[in-house]
Amino acid sequence: MGKGTGRQLASYTIRRLIQAIPIVIGISVISFAIVYLTPGNFVDKFRTGRVSEATIQNLIHVYGLDQPLPVQFWKWFTNFWTFPVNNLAWGFSFTDGQPVRDLIFARIPATLLLMGTSLLVTIVLAIPIGIMQAVKQYSWADKIITTLETIGYAMPTFWLGLILKQLFSVQLKLFPLYGMQTLGKHGDIPDILAHLVLPVTTLAVIQVAGWSRYMRASMLEVMRQDFIRTARSKGLASSQVIRKHALRNALIPIVTLLGLTIPSLLSGAAITETVFSWPGLGYLGVTSVIERDYPVVLAVVMIGGVMVILGNLLADIAYAVVDPRIHY
Amino acid sequence: MTTEGIRLGQPGISLPVGTPTGEVDEVDLVPVQTYWQLVRRRFLQNRLAVIAFVLMIVLVVASIAFPILGGNLWFTTSLTHGPTDPVSLAAPLGYDNDGINIFFRLMRGLQTSLSIGFFAVLIIAGIGTAVGSVAGYAGGRIDNLLMRLVDIVLSLPGLFLVLMFVAFLGSGSALVIIFAIGLTGWTTAARLVRAEFLRLRESDFVQAAKALGASDSRIVIRHMIPSALAPVVVASTLGIADAVVTEAALSFLGLGLLPPEASLGNMLTHAQDYFYRQPLWIYYPGIMLILVVLAASFLGDGLRDALDPRQRIEA
Repeated sequence: MGKGTGRQLASYTIRRLIQAIPIVIGISVISFAIVYLTPGNFVDKFRTGRVSEATIQNLIHVYGLDQPLPVQFWKWFTNFWTFPVNNLAWGFSFTDGQPVRDLIFARIPATLLLMGTSLLVTIVLAIPIGIMQAVKQYSWADKIITTLETIGYAMPTFWLGLILKQLFSVQLKLFPLYGMQTLGKHGDIPDILAHLVLPVTTLAVIQVAGWSRYMRASMLEVMRQDFIRTARSKGLASSQVIRKHALRNALIPIVTLLGLTIPSLLSGAAITETVFSWPGLGYLGVTSVIERDYPVVLAVVMIGGVMVILGNLLADIAYAVVDPRIHY
Repeated sequence: MTTEGIRLGQPGISLPVGTPTGEVDEVDLVPVQTYWQLVRRRFLQNRLAVIAFVLMIVLVVASIAFPILGGNLWFTTSLTHGPTDPVSLAAPLGYDNDGINIFFRLMRGLQTSLSIGFFAVLIIAGIGTAVGSVAGYAGGRIDNLLMRLVDIVLSLPGLFLVLMFVAFLGSGSALVIIFAIGLTGWTTAARLVRAEFLRLRESDFVQAAKALGASDSRIVIRHMIPSALAPVVVASTLGIADAVVTEAALSFLGLGLLPPEASLGNMLTHAQDYFYRQPLWIYYPGIMLILVVLAASFLGDGLRDALDPRQRIEA
C-alpha cells in the first residue's frame, strides 16, 4: 500500500467517523425515548402502600425523574461520554445502587472470554470446512455438511443450549450446568474451562454453520475466475492453486464478516449467556430489562449500538487494506 | 401446456418438449410463457422449495385443524392423567404434569406462534413498503433522512429493542409482541423496496405513466408497488422464521405469553422445569420450531429463485 492510498484511507476513515455522529445521536435518542416514554417507572415498585407518598416524591426528585425529558436526555447524553474519567458517567444502577460503569466493566472480561473463544473456534473450524466443501463440491461430504449447516442455522440458540445442557450436564454429568466458576474455586483455570465448553459449543455450532456456508460460496466464486484457470494451466499442483491463489482471495469477504462479528465480542450473546447464566454483558442486559433497571439497560444498548457502528467501519477499512483493488 | 421444457440460455423463452430444436426459426415462433407461468414452473422444478411448501401447508393446516378438533383439550387439566400414562392415539405425546394433553397443547402453541409470526411479518411488510417506496420515489433529502433512520435502527441491538418494547409496554400480550417484532424488524424490507423503486423509477412504464399525467400517488400505488412486491414477499416469508424464533426467545426469557396461553416458546420454558425427569419434553416444541424455520427459509429461497432468478437478496 503506497503513501497516497494511506492518506486516502485516513481521510476515508475520518469521513466515515463524521458520518457516524448523527447515527450515534440517533441511537441515543431512540433508546432513551423507549426507556423513558413507557408507562411506569422504577419508583412504581415502591408503591405498595408501605412507603409513604412523600418518600416516593422524594425519590422521584432525587433521581431527577420530575425534570423535562429533553433536560433529562441532555444531562444523560453529555454525561455518558465522560465515562473514561468518571465512574458515575452512566449513573447508578436502580437495583443495587452501584455505579453502572463499574457494573458493566466488571462483566466485560467474562463476555470477552466467551465470545473470543467461540470466535476462535468458529474460525478454526469454519474456514477449513468451507474450503473442503468448495474443493469437493457436490461430493457426499459436501452434501452432508450442507444439510448439517442448514439445520444448525435453523436451530434457535436457546434450544440448542438447552439440549446441550440436558445431554452433557444433566445426563452425562460431563460439564457444569451454568455459571463461569464453581463457588469456592475462584480463578481456577480448569474449572473455568469446563464451564466454557457448553456455551462456546452453542455459539460455535450456529456460527460455524453460517461462516462455512459463506466460506464455501466465497471459495467457489474465486475458483471460477480466470486467474485460477491460468494457475492450473501453467501446471501448478492443485494444492498450490488452492493454498496460494484461491484461498487468499476467498478470505477477503471473511474479513468483512469478522468486522461485523467484532461488536458481539463486547455486547455479548444475550441469549446464550442467559441460558448458561454466564456472567457477561448480555446476561446483565437481559436481567436489567426484566428488572427495569433503566440506567443499566441504556448503557448496554448504547454500547451495543456504538460497537455495531465501529464494527461496520472496521470491516470497511479492513476490506480496503486487504484488497488492493478497492479505492476510496 | 406441459410443465417440462427445454431451457434455452435466455430466460423467458422455452420450448415445449418435442419441439424440433434443430431449426432456429422455430424458436422465434414459440409463444413466450407469461411471467406467472414461468414463476410456477421454476418453483416446481426446485425440489427443496416444493417440499418446504408442502411442509408449510401441513404445519398451517395442523395448527388450525387440531385445535378445532381438540376443543378445550389444550388447556384442560386432569387429575386422572399424568406423565406416567402410556402413549395412546388420543394423546400421542402423552400428558404433562397437570394432566394436559401435550399433543393438543403443542398444536395450539404452533397456532399461536405461526399467527404471531404472520401478523408481525404483515407489519414488517407494511412499514417496509411504506418507508421504502417513499424513500425510493422521493429521493434526495427525504431518501437520505429515511435511510439514516434505517441505519440507526439497524445499529441498535435488535433483541434488546424487542425486549425493551415488550418489557416496558406489557409482557404477556400477543399484540405487544407482534408490534415489538414488527416495529423493530422492517429495515430489510424497506431497503429492498427502496432499491426496487430506484430501479423502477427510471423504467419505461413509469415514465409513460408520468408522461400521461398520472399523479404521484397513482404511479406509486398502482404501478410501482405491485412491481416491487416480489422482494417483499420473499423477505416476508424468510421473516416468518425470524419472528417465530423471536417470540420463542421472548417466552424463554420470561417476557412472552404466559400459561395457560400456549406458544412454542412458553412450552419450551415449561419443559425446562422438567429437565431431569422428562427429558423429551424440550424436544417437542424445539422440533416444531426447527420445522417452521426450515419450511419458511426454503420456501423463501425457492420463491426468490422463482420470482427472479437473477436477483439474490441478502436476508
